[in-house]
Amino acid sequence: MKAFLVDLNKCVGCYDCQIGCKDEHCGNCWMPYAESQPDTGQFWLHLYETEHGARPHVKVSYVPVMCQHCENAPCIKAAKDDAVYQREDGLVIIDPEKAKGQKQIVDACPYKAIFWNEELEIPQKCTGCAHLIDRGHPISVPRCVDNCHLDAIQFGEESELDLADTERLKPEFGLKTRVYYRGLPKRFVAGKVYDPEIEEVVTGATVTAKSPSGSWTVKTDAFGDFWLRNLPEEELELTIHGGGKSYKGNVSTKEKSIGMGNIALK
Amino acid sequence: MAEHEVASGPWQEPETTIYRGMACGGTGGELSAIDSKDGKVVRIRPIRYTDEYSMDELKDSLWSFTARGKTLKCPVKTAPPYQSLAYKKRIYSKNRVKYPLKRVDWEPGGDPDKINAENRGKSKFVRISWDEACDIIADEIKRVRKTYGENSVLAVGEDGHCQSKIIHMVGGNHINLLMRTGGFTREVRTPDSVEGFYWGAKFAWGAQVQAGLGMFDNGWNVIEDVTKNADMVIMQAGDLETTQNYASQWMSRVMRFWMDIGIKLVVVDPFCTYTSVCHDEITWIPLLPNTDVALDYGMMYVWLTEGLYDVNYVETHTYGFDKLKAYVLGEEDGIPKTPKWASEICGVEPWTIKALAREWGTKTTSILHYCGCHVRGPYSHEPGRTEVYKLALQGFGAPGVQQIHLFSYGGGKQAVRPTPYGPMMFSEMHAMQFYPADQTIPRTLVARSIQNGHSDWWGSPQIIFAMPDEQFEHNFYPIEEDEGGAKVHMLWSEKPCNQTCWNGGFEFQEAMRNKDLECVITNHPWLENDSLFADLVLPVTTPAEESDIVGSGMGDSIEVVAVQDAAIPPVGESLSDYEISLKIAERFDPELPKQMAEGRIEGEPAFGLTIEQQKKSEYERSPIVSEIGWEELKAKGFYVPKQDPYAKDYKPNARLFYEDPESFPVGTPSGKIEFYSDQLEENFPDDKERQPLAKWIVGGPESEGWTHDETLAGERAKKYPFLVNACTGRWRFHAQCDDITWHREIPTAKVVGKDGYLYEPCWMSPEDAKKQGIEDGDIVKVYNERGTVLCGAKVSERILPQSVMVNKGSRSDPIASEFDRGGNINLISPAGPISKHCYGFAVSGYLVDVQKVSDEEMAGWVKQYPEAFERAYDPASGSHYDGWVEGVE
Repeated sequence: MKAFLVDLNKCVGCYDCQIGCKDEHCGNCWMPYAESQPDTGQFWLHLYETEHGARPHVKVSYVPVMCQHCENAPCIKAAKDDAVYQREDGLVIIDPEKAKGQKQIVDACPYKAIFWNEELEIPQKCTGCAHLIDRGHPISVPRCVDNCHLDAIQFGEESELDLADTERLKPEFGLKTRVYYRGLPKRFVAGKVYDPEIEEVVTGATVTAKSPSGSWTVKTDAFGDFWLRNLPEEELELTIHGGGKSYKGNVSTKEKSIGMGNIALK
Repeated sequence: MAEHEVASGPWQEPETTIYRGMACGGTGGELSAIDSKDGKVVRIRPIRYTDEYSMDELKDSLWSFTARGKTLKCPVKTAPPYQSLAYKKRIYSKNRVKYPLKRVDWEPGGDPDKINAENRGKSKFVRISWDEACDIIADEIKRVRKTYGENSVLAVGEDGHCQSKIIHMVGGNHINLLMRTGGFTREVRTPDSVEGFYWGAKFAWGAQVQAGLGMFDNGWNVIEDVTKNADMVIMQAGDLETTQNYASQWMSRVMRFWMDIGIKLVVVDPFCTYTSVCHDEITWIPLLPNTDVALDYGMMYVWLTEGLYDVNYVETHTYGFDKLKAYVLGEEDGIPKTPKWASEICGVEPWTIKALAREWGTKTTSILHYCGCHVRGPYSHEPGRTEVYKLALQGFGAPGVQQIHLFSYGGGKQAVRPTPYGPMMFSEMHAMQFYPADQTIPRTLVARSIQNGHSDWWGSPQIIFAMPDEQFEHNFYPIEEDEGGAKVHMLWSEKPCNQTCWNGGFEFQEAMRNKDLECVITNHPWLENDSLFADLVLPVTTPAEESDIVGSGMGDSIEVVAVQDAAIPPVGESLSDYEISLKIAERFDPELPKQMAEGRIEGEPAFGLTIEQQKKSEYERSPIVSEIGWEELKAKGFYVPKQDPYAKDYKPNARLFYEDPESFPVGTPSGKIEFYSDQLEENFPDDKERQPLAKWIVGGPESEGWTHDETLAGERAKKYPFLVNACTGRWRFHAQCDDITWHREIPTAKVVGKDGYLYEPCWMSPEDAKKQGIEDGDIVKVYNERGTVLCGAKVSERILPQSVMVNKGSRSDPIASEFDRGGNINLISPAGPISKHCYGFAVSGYLVDVQKVSDEEMAGWVKQYPEAFERAYDPASGSHYDGWVEGVE
């Protein structure tokens, strides 16, 4: 079965994947796999960009989301006349001719990976560039994979990909997706620890976050910064000890990651 | 051609594939493949060298080196910039100029009542034939010369960034014609990428790279040296994820490699850069725009007071340390440059300044930048010099203590040898760049020279080949009449983006409306920026439409030779700049095109070499002739030259000076790195803006002799309280690619206004947004006394209070005089020089105010300027051709 492996630790947010998808499909018709993608507004691979934290502790996550080529694809169930089908290699394809007028196929996807083409009245989405894979020329992988200059997106046999430490997107949907992610964004709490009396950062301070589900500890670095990563979405109790001084406070990661800025020790 | 009229129909199996560098930096760029069918581009993609060669064949060509137990190898797959990968949208842009155009209310002949100069940038164009266009141009050149003197035609745009071409090289083809038919006035490019180094660093460590740019010579093996020896790399205004797209995206791999082997990366920048946000490992230290000098001195204070500098090196390798020390410690002016002092200016907390200084002072540290804004603002010679001071205090030239700059990104050791990109024989013959002319005007002074009819400046503001001494020469326009002096009355530009990439853009627009300019011509593939202010616009082909010999060059992982046919026929009736110059030349002399094609001077025989013959000749003059045959090169499309066996012997940057300063001095009068320049003291003793020692300069009112009052400490800040960071945009390359529909829908590219217009983002902090009553997505006006540009608010934690960021390069969308909707921020940049004696540009780190545009205000403008607001506009691609050309179907 074909699968994608997306390693977000390698991603630099260049959008080569999203642009490659458009270059392949906008204005190019690959029937019977796919009609041409409208020039703008559809994202068969959508790079979702989100800013996290607060100055100076700011990071941006980039998560490419395309058709997840689910084993239990809800779009297949929603389609009439077998308008959506799963190939033997696992790729899920919408048949543009059979799918004409079937807007319910768009609504069936919980990943919002299917788009409605108003002009052609068809649902459209990522085909895994099956036209390239079947043809094997001039490239034999999906365009998003070929365009990525950092090998952050790989494509191949599910059994041959290194899926260690990977997750599925929204596994709670239970759709057995075939796009695996490594490094999906998780909550962080970051801050810069300093001693206001001497106007110096505090290096090597011990920073601990505690919640009912666990405890996480890091040390501040040479810039007085700490980054507590991979935190749960919870209320946390934060304690900092360093240079004979301390800080105690509460922070919540329920809504978002937190950049605490400068934290004065007393 | 409709926008979507690209390849369609089942099975677009490409019929042809060509390989070429397509980067917008103009020097090639990592190779892309263009697959085409039925004369249309199907796709543009990266290539693998193994598509045409076996790994065995490549083994002597690809470089690699090992550092700290890991090996960095030259990638086999190319990493073209994303602009190249989206170039289909440039080729088939809605904004392509397809036919020669003439402004509807302009007539040749110079009659003031018929040129309607005041309507430039307002009135529309109509299609004319090539014959009509060429006849008009030839006649106008002859008429203007006869009326006003031989040198009265100004040739703009001889050099600068553009589409990558060699045979068809952009810039200077008009000069090739003008110099062979009489005289011309040459617009000379200023050192725009590196102003601060050019005007500042040169007086600290000599002329340096390319005989005068001001960054240190010899970029070879710098990346390797840093990788092997540095503990920390500081990116002080260098956002590689953005600016490396000059040529390639390969430095992303290098930065990943650095972090993997434990090199610490620190970003010191007014913006949390695209490089900074994508890696957990990177520390961001935000500072206010154009305050780097204060931060630098705050750090130097720590180094000097805590002994965290290389005392021996300072003794043996530098000059004037006592003067530096006196300034830093406050012995000179009574103000010690403490971290607290620095903090109040630059916005970095004192504790962070101290922490950074101590890390820097104790770890082997290199500086990395890529023409960042810290050397492109008012008084940029000061940060240009303090960068040198920092390096010198830490033993510049020692293993891992480097300045990584524009010319040191080449990864390949093979890059040390000349490549076909190096000789560029035919581009030099066709595109007369840096060709001496009797009368010149710096690019930064074109507008004022036209408006005032005269100008003067110090130095030879030519981007290269200018030594420090030349900055003490006083130059004038026009020159004496008996030496060929003539005021310009005609302007011909091959790079029509002066108002978007250079200084004082609104002044430039006004200059274009000066009735003394009787004829304005631009050559350009797209109808944008200065072309909107032209009388004649000539349609130019994009690289995909040209047969050429363009490989990869500067800034790539490896230099590669490529030779290619045109991927598709020309769009519309477009021709290359080279072909245009020949077509007009026929009007002067039927034999002239042949001579121009071969760079022959008068009387020499010329054969009129075809493009194919020129390509072959280019190859024959290159060193690869001994490695691959012409037929094989053509068949394969590209070739990766073999490594230079002596590459290891090239010492990186200042290593020789570091090892033996007596035998290998730098190019200053003392032969040492000069903290204090006697040269400046002797030549400009009264210059308070660029003193012999770099200083934090606040500036002040013009009446007191200051060039700028552009800091938060000055008077003007009360009226215009934000420092604008106007660095290059992520989704453009300078003024290029603003129309790429696939880029414009990326959230950081544009802001969708409530009126459906896609505005250029004005990034601002949540604190400032709240204070100004602005919400994310609001339409805002960014303005100062120089004019107003409209933007869309982008509220973000990536920016400091008291500063905003509007990336330069968004296309002009003129509404009225000093009023623009396109978000072209350089329109309101200072029109004056960097400082009194330095006529470079100051296009970032200046003052603006930002206010929300109310519905009533917008409705008022729409009513007041109906023609501008009703111009055809497509949110997907922005303002375009149909809005400016009459009779478009």
